[in-house]
Amino acid sequence: MGGIREYFGNISDALVTTVKGMAITGRHFTSEPPITVQYPRDRLAVPPSYRGVHILEQQKCIDCKLCAKACPVDCIEIEAVHHGRILEWQKFTIDYKKCIFCEFCIPPCPKDCIHMTAEYEMATAVNDTMIEDLLTWTGLRANDRREVEAGEAKKAGKPAPPAPEGVTPQPGGPAGGNAAPSGVVVTSAYAPGSPGAPGGLPRGPRKARDGSASPAAPAAPASAAAPAAPAAPAAPGGDLAARVAAIKAGLASKGKGPS
Amino acid sequence: MEALIGFFGDKLHVSGTLALSLAYATCIGSLLGFVTVYAMFAIWMERKVAAHMQVRYGPMETGGWHGWSQSIADAVKLLFKEDLLPRDANQVLFWIAPAIVFCGVFAGLVAVPFAVGVQIADVHLGLFLILSLAAVEVVGVIMAGWASNSKYALFGAVREAAQVVSYEVPAAVALLVPVLVVGSFRLGDFNAWQEEHGWLVFHNPFVVVSALIFFIASLAGCKRAPFDLPEAESELVSGFHTEYSGMRFSFFFLEEYVSMFVSSLLVATLFFGGWTLPFLNVSAMPAPVGLVVLLAKTFFFIFVQMWLRWTLPRLRVDQVMAMGFKYLLPWGFVCVVATAVFEAQGWRWLPV
Repeated sequence: MGGIREYFGNISDALVTTVKGMAITGRHFTSEPPITVQYPRDRLAVPPSYRGVHILEQQKCIDCKLCAKACPVDCIEIEAVHHGRILEWQKFTIDYKKCIFCEFCIPPCPKDCIHMTAEYEMATAVNDTMIEDLLTWTGLRANDRREVEAGEAKKAGKPAPPAPEGVTPQPGGPAGGNAAPSGVVVTSAYAPGSPGAPGGLPRGPRKARDGSASPAAPAAPASAAAPAAPAAPAAPGGDLAARVAAIKAGLASKGKGPS
Repeated sequence: MEALIGFFGDKLHVSGTLALSLAYATCIGSLLGFVTVYAMFAIWMERKVAAHMQVRYGPMETGGWHGWSQSIADAVKLLFKEDLLPRDANQVLFWIAPAIVFCGVFAGLVAVPFAVGVQIADVHLGLFLILSLAAVEVVGVIMAGWASNSKYALFGAVREAAQVVSYEVPAAVALLVPVLVVGSFRLGDFNAWQEEHGWLVFHNPFVVVSALIFFIASLAGCKRAPFDLPEAESELVSGFHTEYSGMRFSFFFLEEYVSMFVSSLLVATLFFGGWTLPFLNVSAMPAPVGLVVLLAKTFFFIFVQMWLRWTLPRLRVDQVMAMGFKYLLPWGFVCVVATAVFEAQGWRWLPV
């Protein structure tokens, strides 16, 4: 009799489980809205602590190379020529073919100038574009150039070491000390802001994409007669500042969060 | 059919043979067109049904509204794809297998009454003809698997050969029940009978069981989950049509959807009233009404087939055999005998 019980048990099991399964799939079909996202148009929110592409606040960076040393895969390459405290930037690249997004480069930074953004769309068809230059400008900015050349002129004129005020950031100048010192006599061969002045133009990765590629992050203000005038060239695009602020706010709120 | 011949004879003033050929060409052309459009719609529908049962969207981009033209894009792609022939394949068998498979199920549509008077050939053994032609499809599947010279394709073909015995017999036995009640193999008679006496599923309890048995067996006949052993994607790449590409592959695809259509249409016609509706005399209405009613019922059963596919896991080979021989077939016999007794005694639901 056990066989017969098993036989009819099988039939009722098959019917009952099929009906149950169809009830589940039927409920999904009729009443549950899809949980997937139509990606290019709709996107899921990225958590604030997401480790995406880096950004660099170049005016704060002091070329200490601590981030490059911290990098476990050696994907950061930094080159800059030091003129006192003024840096003549050559490159600050991150090779995203190597980068493992471990975020080890962020904590060592003494100036808190390198950050990771939430940007994750890095797919490309060309290998070379995977090496990103984080610099907003290369070489010297016009103000710095004036300063450096003034210093050199001083050095050439009198053997005494250059007066410290030549490179000391003026009060009121932006943090990072790139303000044009008001007391320095400009002897540059370059007319400030003239097209010939090298290094004045911003150059950076991803600018074309995020649209803030301010072509106006421009060379120095045209008038040397307004010495304390906006050291704006140093100001990174407002976009960069905003993004950094957003990242910091996100991290802070996350730290205070319930977790 | 006769109406078409008469139409060509009267309007175009053509001779008998030419009128006949023209009428046949029209019928075949319209059926082919219908089948192609239907298959495209059914494939899109299957993808949407599958997606929503899995709580996702499915195709959303092509054509704008919910990816409605995705199937058209796929068909165009398949048309222009390279037609590959494996080096060691049996060329002749490899080439004619898709044709045999497709013709088997497509020819079955000839005997199907879509509405009052909308039928290509009013065959007296229509049900028998459809079942026989559907069985030809299996030959094509085995040919395709054998000719491909690939072990996955061969496995698929052998599984189909093993499976066919275990579902064809219960299906045929289960179909004896409505035939017993109506007393005819002609599909038109089923519609007429049900117009008069009500749907066959409500006739007696054993017709309900036989309807269930036939539906399950027809799932296996369409090689649909949970009986999709011949093309089990997770085990055999894609089974008997592994080596096919382009247009030939799309014929196998078309065949699967057409055979879904035919078996759903048989379920609707034999057990669920065909084009008839309760409390309405559809046969007296214009033919398009009956056509819409029948197609609505057919698409409901196609939807149930899809629903089952995305609900149930695939059975093992031995489970398919057990299902066919230990469960479906004995209950089919029980239904036949019991229905015969019920009919002889004039009983309906309760033997009173």
